[in-house]
Amino acid sequence: MAMIAKVMRILRRDSLVASRDSMLIIILAMPVLMAVGIQLFAPGIADSVVRIGLLDDDPADHAAFVAEYARVERFGSVAELERRIAKRDEIAGMVRSGDGYEIVVQGDEGPDLLNYAKLLNALYELGGSRDDSTASVLSFGKAVSPIKAKLANMLILMMVMLSGMTISLGIVEEKSDDTISAVNVSPVSQNAFIVGKSLLGGLSTLASIVIALLILGYSGVNWPMIILVGLTSMVLTFIVGFLQGLSSTDVIEAATGVKMTMLPIAGSIAGYELLSDKWQWTMYWSPFYWAYKANDLILTERADWPTVLLCAAMVSGISLAIYLVAIPRIREGLS
Amino acid sequence: MVSVRNLSHSYGNDGRLAVDDVSFDIGKGETFGFLGPSGAGKSTTQGVLTGLLRLQKGEVTVAGYDLRTVRKERFNKIGVSFEQANVYSKLTALENLRFYADLFDAPTRDPHELLELVGLAGRENDRAGSFSKGMKHRLAFARSMLNYPELWFLDEPTTGLDPAIAAVIKGVIKAEQAKGTTTFLTTHNMYIADELCDRVAFIVDGSIKLVDTPRNLKQRYGKKLVEVEYLRDDGSIAKETLRTVDEGDRERLAGIVRSRDIVTMHSKEATLEEIFIQITGRGLD
Repeated sequence: MAMIAKVMRILRRDSLVASRDSMLIIILAMPVLMAVGIQLFAPGIADSVVRIGLLDDDPADHAAFVAEYARVERFGSVAELERRIAKRDEIAGMVRSGDGYEIVVQGDEGPDLLNYAKLLNALYELGGSRDDSTASVLSFGKAVSPIKAKLANMLILMMVMLSGMTISLGIVEEKSDDTISAVNVSPVSQNAFIVGKSLLGGLSTLASIVIALLILGYSGVNWPMIILVGLTSMVLTFIVGFLQGLSSTDVIEAATGVKMTMLPIAGSIAGYELLSDKWQWTMYWSPFYWAYKANDLILTERADWPTVLLCAAMVSGISLAIYLVAIPRIREGLS
Repeated sequence: MVSVRNLSHSYGNDGRLAVDDVSFDIGKGETFGFLGPSGAGKSTTQGVLTGLLRLQKGEVTVAGYDLRTVRKERFNKIGVSFEQANVYSKLTALENLRFYADLFDAPTRDPHELLELVGLAGRENDRAGSFSKGMKHRLAFARSMLNYPELWFLDEPTTGLDPAIAAVIKGVIKAEQAKGTTTFLTTHNMYIADELCDRVAFIVDGSIKLVDTPRNLKQRYGKKLVEVEYLRDDGSIAKETLRTVDEGDRERLAGIVRSRDIVTMHSKEATLEEIFIQITGRGLD
C-alpha cells in the first residue's frame, strides 16, 4: 500500500508540473485536436459518392434521376460549371446538347468517373432504373469507413509515441533540476519511481485514445481490446522515453529523440498496408506492426479475441526483450 | 551511528581509487567533519554513505543498516542536504516540501515551520524556479530536515550563502546538534568545521590523514605561533608566521627582533586550515 501511495504521489506531482508546462499541454491536447480534424475532413462511408454538375435549367426529371445516383451540384451558367470542374476534386458536368447530353470533364479524372457518368446517361436515355436489376445482394454489413479506420489507427500509434515523449520530458525536468538524487535518498524504491514516472504518460495516452475514438464515432468499438493493445504497445515507448530522457540534456533533444520512434511506427504501417501476404513476416520484429494490425482489425470490426491476444502477446514479448536489454541502462541513469 | 571499515571506491577500471581504504566511526549525537580540498574524496565517501554510489569494497553501516544490502527504509532516519540546490523549479517552495514529506514512511515536520526556520516564510507559494541560488539552497536544506533525521548529511551547507544567511543555517545546525542529531558534515571551509564539528577528518587524495577534535589539533599542532610584521630595507612591510617550538623559526624570530624594526607582533593560535596545510602539505582550494 505504501508503494502505491508513493507511486500516486509521484503521479500527482507530475500532473501538477504538466499543468504548468505549455509543451506538455500541447502534447496531450494535440491528438484530440487531430481527431477533430480527421472527423471533419476524412470521408465517411457515405461520402464515397460521384459528383455531377448540372445547369439550373436542366430538365427536372433528368435532374431528379441523376440525384438518385450521384451528388448533384447546380450552376447558373456553363462558365460557372466549367470553373467548378477545373477545381482539384473530381466532378463531371452534364450539359444538354441537341437531343442528348454532353459530358464535360477536366481530363485528369479517373476512368471510373467518366464511365459512371456515361452509364448514368445511357440508363436515363434507355429509361431504366436500379429496380430493373435482377442481381441479388449479399452484404457483410461493413459500416466503417476504411480510410477513417486507418487514420484513427495511425492516430492511436502517434498517441502511443507521445506517451514516451511525456515520460522523456519528465525525466529531462528531473535531470535539469538535479532532483533524481534527492528522490534517491528518500524511501522510494527505483521501481516505484519508474512506475510513477510512467503513469502520467500512460494514463493520459489511454484517455486521449478513448476521447479521440469517441470523437471519431467509434463509441461501439470493443474497448477492452483497444485498451489491451494500447497498454501493451505503450511499454516500448515507455522504455524509449526513459532512455531518451536520461541521455538528453534538454527538452528539444529529448523530443527529437523520441520522435525517432516514428520511423519504426511509419515503417510498420507501410509494411502492413503495402506488403503482400507472403512478405508480411518481414515486419514481425516490430511491436508496432502487431499493434497496428490488432487496431486495424478492432476498428474495422473484424477482430476476435484469439487474434488480438496473439498480437498483444507479440507486442509484449518483443517489448519485454527490449526492456531486459535496456533496464540496466535505465537503472544506472536513475542512480 | 556510522561505521566505515576499509572503504575503497573507484569510478573506472583503471585502478585509480577516488577513496582508498578509509575507516572511521561516528558516534550517536556527534558532528563529524570531513574536510579536504576539491577532488579529495569527500563527496565520493558521502555518496557511498548515502547510497547514491554503490558500495564496492569495505564494510559500511549507516544508521544501523549494512550497506551491502539495499534497504530504502533507512532513508526514513536519514536526511541529506546536497551542495547543489536540487529542488523542483516548477513547484512552489511549499509544494516541494509537501511532495518529499509524502514520500516518507515516518512522521514529518510541518513544511511551514521549516520554511520559517530557513528564512523563507512568506515565499511558500512562490515557485522555486524564481528563487535565487541561496534561497534554493535553503529550501533544499529545509527538505533535508523533513523527516526528523537521526543522521544528517550536510554537503557544504553554507557555501555560496551570504554571511547573514550562513549564520542562520549554522544556528539551525547547532539547534539540531543540541537535540542529539548525528551529523556528517562535508566541507572545505575550515571555519565552519571548527565552529560546528566535534571531530574532524582530514582527507587528501582519497586517504584519511588524521581524525581528531579541533581542540586537540590546535593544542598539538597550533601552539606557540607568532605573527610578526617588520620593515624591510626598502621601507615595505613584511609579514611572517613562525612557530616558537621550531628551532629554526625561533632563530629566525630572534634575528628579526634583533635586526629589524618591528611593526606588530602577536602570538597566534593556528587555524584548522593552517593545521591542514601543515599535516597534508596541501591547501584547501
